[in-house]
Amino acid sequence: MPDATTGEEARGSHEPLAVELSGVTKRFGDVVAVDDITLEIGENRFYALLGPSGCGKTTTLRMIGGFEDPDAGSIRLHGEDVTGLKPYQRPVNTVFQSYALFPHLNVFENVAFGLRRKKVPSAEVTERVGEMLDLVQLVGMDKRKPGQLSGGQRQRVALARALINHPRVLLLDEPLGALDLKLRKEMQIELKRIQNEVGITFVHVTHDQEEAMTMADTIAVMNEGRIERLGGPTEIYEDPRSAFVAGFLGASNLMQGDRKGNAATLQDGTTIALPEAGAAGVDGDIQLGVRPEKMSLQAPEAAPPGANSILATVVDVSFIGVSTHYLLRTSWGADLVVVVQNLDDERHAAGSSVAATWLPQHTFVVS
Amino acid sequence: MTTDTATPPAATPPGAGQTAGAASSKSKRKRVPYLLLLPGGIWLIMFYVIPMIQLAGVSLQEGSFQTGYRFTWAWGNYSAAFTAFGGHFIRSILYAGTATLLALLIGYPLAYAIAFRGGRYRNLLLILVLMPFLTPFLLRTLAWKVILADSGWVVGVLQSIGIIAENGRLLATGWAGVAGITYNFLAFMTLPIYVSLEKIDPSLIEAAQDLYSNSRTAFRKVTLPLSRPGIVAGTLLTLIPASGDFVNAQLLGNPQQLMIGNVIDSRFLRIVDYPTAAALSFTLMVAILLIVIPYVRAVGTEDLVA
Amino acid sequence: MKRFLDFARHHLITVYMVGALAYLFVPVVVVMLFSFNDNRGRFNFTWRGFTLKHWANAFEVPNLFDSLVKSFQIAFLSALVATILGTLIALALVRYRFKGRSTTNFLLFLPMATPEVVLGSSLLALFLTLSIPTGFGTIVVAHILFNISYVVVTVKARLSGFDRHLEEAAMDLYANEWTTFVKVTLPMILPGVFAAFMLGFALSFDDFIITNFNSGGTVTFPLYIWGAARVGVPPQVNVFGTAIFVITVSIMLLTVTLQRRSDANVA
Repeated sequence: MPDATTGEEARGSHEPLAVELSGVTKRFGDVVAVDDITLEIGENRFYALLGPSGCGKTTTLRMIGGFEDPDAGSIRLHGEDVTGLKPYQRPVNTVFQSYALFPHLNVFENVAFGLRRKKVPSAEVTERVGEMLDLVQLVGMDKRKPGQLSGGQRQRVALARALINHPRVLLLDEPLGALDLKLRKEMQIELKRIQNEVGITFVHVTHDQEEAMTMADTIAVMNEGRIERLGGPTEIYEDPRSAFVAGFLGASNLMQGDRKGNAATLQDGTTIALPEAGAAGVDGDIQLGVRPEKMSLQAPEAAPPGANSILATVVDVSFIGVSTHYLLRTSWGADLVVVVQNLDDERHAAGSSVAATWLPQHTFVVS
Repeated sequence: MTTDTATPPAATPPGAGQTAGAASSKSKRKRVPYLLLLPGGIWLIMFYVIPMIQLAGVSLQEGSFQTGYRFTWAWGNYSAAFTAFGGHFIRSILYAGTATLLALLIGYPLAYAIAFRGGRYRNLLLILVLMPFLTPFLLRTLAWKVILADSGWVVGVLQSIGIIAENGRLLATGWAGVAGITYNFLAFMTLPIYVSLEKIDPSLIEAAQDLYSNSRTAFRKVTLPLSRPGIVAGTLLTLIPASGDFVNAQLLGNPQQLMIGNVIDSRFLRIVDYPTAAALSFTLMVAILLIVIPYVRAVGTEDLVA
Repeated sequence: MKRFLDFARHHLITVYMVGALAYLFVPVVVVMLFSFNDNRGRFNFTWRGFTLKHWANAFEVPNLFDSLVKSFQIAFLSALVATILGTLIALALVRYRFKGRSTTNFLLFLPMATPEVVLGSSLLALFLTLSIPTGFGTIVVAHILFNISYVVVTVKARLSGFDRHLEEAAMDLYANEWTTFVKVTLPMILPGVFAAFMLGFALSFDDFIITNFNSGGTVTFPLYIWGAARVGVPPQVNVFGTAIFVITVSIMLLTVTLQRRSDANVA
């Protein structure tokens, strides 16, 4: 639906952005919660702000929603500067972490709340609430009070209450945090379906990397009020670029090395080939990394030619079912984790010497 | 796409006037709490703070009702008042203190019983505790006059088992006054204690027992310390009104052993000796604050007012 | 042996509870009983047999019903004003961080920490100095003053348990500050505000000491009883005392039942 946004297109020459933050900073007392963030979120995206608690992701979301005013910088929604506008003056809606359903109103009136404020005729309200309850699969629940609903149902009401207003952007603050694991998995798929169906930009705050990777098409990893890494889930997983992102998104083995051109030398003299792409960088001390599942184990003499290889001793073996996790120790005392799928290969016993090998293109360099 | 139904934000020319708008909304937000406080705050200042200053002023006046009073820094009012009514002061503190202690001894187990043994009847029991206070205060006090009357069965029973002498009485004794105060303020003691006991997570007591405390030690080391805010609030809510009360002393107590409240009442309203009455009243206020403030310091007003 | 002790202790506390409640109710029963007493002479202290005559001519004692009406008017007015003023203060204290917060808290604590004789006499000192005649108006002023702090405490308790996100959600759904207050904040705190009003009403209705200082010629129900206590309280006072008790208890039980029913619906 590229033609819906006519007003903004007249102003900007290029494709309109759903959300633009430029140089946004927010302080609480001495604490800088959000530190000079600039961010562009395109139309019809499922965008995730991912990070540990206290990284500033929720504050960023609250500034887009209008619940906090930035100390510096500006916020635009579809090209329009909304900095300083009240929440009720912004074409965005929020799904709150605790849902914030009005306990004194039933499901119908909760969902209809925004329409009533905009003085939508009552017949249309009834119709649109009905459609919305249908979309979130809560038909027949309209007379219940929030206290009579399960966690998952409340979540759906909160979603319906926000979506019914056709916001230009939907903000979700840890929307699945209060649900149990099984329900969370279901709702992840559900949310993605709804986003596809309504075609609205979703900005989703979460601390759960798996949740972000499952749902979002773009992820901004935040740390200490800044954006550490921005990109698609695959892109930022395969090339995290910083030690923080490498550690926060899945597990990784990080090693010190001395870089010379397209190769690096480890402490025991092993030479590691670096990937062709992204090889630009200065020579000298670097940190390189490789994901545990990218490695495989062989007998020391069986290392395939052309692969990177490190000699190590098996310290511990845990059988997980779908895979086996090995804890290795290198000759210089560093720990490595290797995850091997259980494909009927021989297992390596604790104490045995092995070669951990991987393809050069699976190596990444972090700052 | 249905974005056309969304209300467009109030059009502001991009970049222009944004910071000014944000700044004015911020200062507006700062004013809001003061506006909310204003009417009530004015009331408190006009009818609490200023009257207290006025009271202090009157206590330092000289003169008589017939000739009028003049402010003369008459500190002598205080020493004269204390010489004449020091006994009443000490008796008031003693009576109020005894009544508070008795109310604590009666009220704590009651609150404990409701909180931990009340089960699903807790709310009902709480209502039962409050219910008697729906009859007017003076009528309840007068009812005790009936119950403790010389010809009543309470006196009769106590005489026959020898707790009081053959011609002994209960009414018009200091003890009857103390008993009246204890009864009348029991709810103020029981409720705050109940509230703090009710908040205690029973698993804390189980944890104490798991960690080798018997029930008595668990009570001493866990329940009692956790209910301290309730005890503090309850004793204050009993002690403060009790110290100034003159109804119980007048209706039930010994007419020769009145409390300071009786003196203030009669000096102000019948003898019209305003400076002495004001001096006594102000001294009572200061005495109460001297007792209460260190007590409150330990807990914080926020906790008491919250 | 241990089991026996546990059993005894368990029941001891129940017995204690029943005893304590009985102690609390004895004077109430006496008040009720003596509204039916066929008393001789002016005093109503000894039981002389059952009669309904005081109930039948409850309104025939001069000035008694007038004093009840006065008390009712004063209680309603002062509770209403105090509830408004106190609720505003509570909103400020819970919702905003501002300079002077702890001073405000202290100022609210002071009237509660002041014995009633002092509160009453200080107000009288003010009215005397300003030559304001005491009466209905000064009683209302005094009652509003001592009610404010209790209102703040009651409403604050309700407000602190209130999820701030609810107001943000309303603002997010196009409600401006005023609509948010009317549609969300007020309905949510209304039970607390109502409880504060009832508490204020009860405290004002039953107040004797402060009223005594500031009443002038106005006679409230407690002042009537006090005056009558010297010369003999007519049993009709007990009739009204009993009626007040029965009516308020009925309202209380009704509220609790209704609340329980709506809670059951929610749960």
